[in-house]
Amino acid sequence: MALPNKVLPGFVASLYMQPGAAPTPVATEVLLATYATVSAFVVDGNLLQVEAIPAFGQEDAMANFSVAGSRQSDKIPVQSAPFSLSFIHAWNPTNANLLLVRGDAYSGLIDRTYVIAFVEGANTVLFAFNARASQFSIDPAPGAEAQCTFTLHPRGNLFGWSNNA
Amino acid sequence: MGQNSAAVYAQAIQTALQLVVTPTPVYASFNRNFASEPTFLTWTLRNVHQPVYTGAQSNKGIDRPVCQTNVYAQTMATCFAQAQLVLDALHGYQGLLGGLFFVAKIDVEWLFNTFDNDNKLHQIVLDMTFDIPS
Repeated sequence: MALPNKVLPGFVASLYMQPGAAPTPVATEVLLATYATVSAFVVDGNLLQVEAIPAFGQEDAMANFSVAGSRQSDKIPVQSAPFSLSFIHAWNPTNANLLLVRGDAYSGLIDRTYVIAFVEGANTVLFAFNARASQFSIDPAPGAEAQCTFTLHPRGNLFGWSNNA
Repeated sequence: MGQNSAAVYAQAIQTALQLVVTPTPVYASFNRNFASEPTFLTWTLRNVHQPVYTGAQSNKGIDRPVCQTNVYAQTMATCFAQAQLVLDALHGYQGLLGGLFFVAKIDVEWLFNTFDNDNKLHQIVLDMTFDIPS
């Protein structure tokens, strides 16, 4: 096994979630380093069948430093948190994973580990982060599928890349 | 949310239309061997398509295929009456179409009426859009 060695279309990306109504999210250093732990979530039962994976990654984080009356200024990059991600998922009222996300949004306090997987054959690269769900809404416009939208807000500046190479 | 079967769609459409206009014959318009009766319907299923979403092959959206139905009759009054039967029975319909699959809504659009000079048949064309959950 190796890292995917192709330019991948966005269609290969999938979103998986840590199961359970009261999850204990994976610790920071594990998100970063341990493929085995986060890849355990990458199974069919944990799949969130979202329409597409939005842009994800790190936000810009920078302290702009300047002193009044001085020509001196500086931009100081700081460690940056991952994006908030908004997802669209077809609304199936009995989808167990969607009900967990809805429950998380209702609670507002549940941290959960999520994994975005890019898979090419047997090669996998994962982006894992811990997040709380928010802004869970359902759009039942006629003439189209009922869609629910939710936003995952990553927590604690935590995210990690891992792969099965 | 797997792929729905277009073959099942076809069976259901045939059964449902036949129920609505019986005893008028209903044909899938794969050929033109139908033109012997004074009144008949043909239908064509098109635009069968579930949008595909990211990741697994099974990740698909709802299907909204169109079934074009042509009503043929030797008299204009019969043609209008038969088309009206279809409109009354199926526009806004929700249920188990042809007893085979659940359709959330059928939207029937009456496109136009015309006359086929070769066959001497009045013709009315209806487009029926099916909303089929996946």
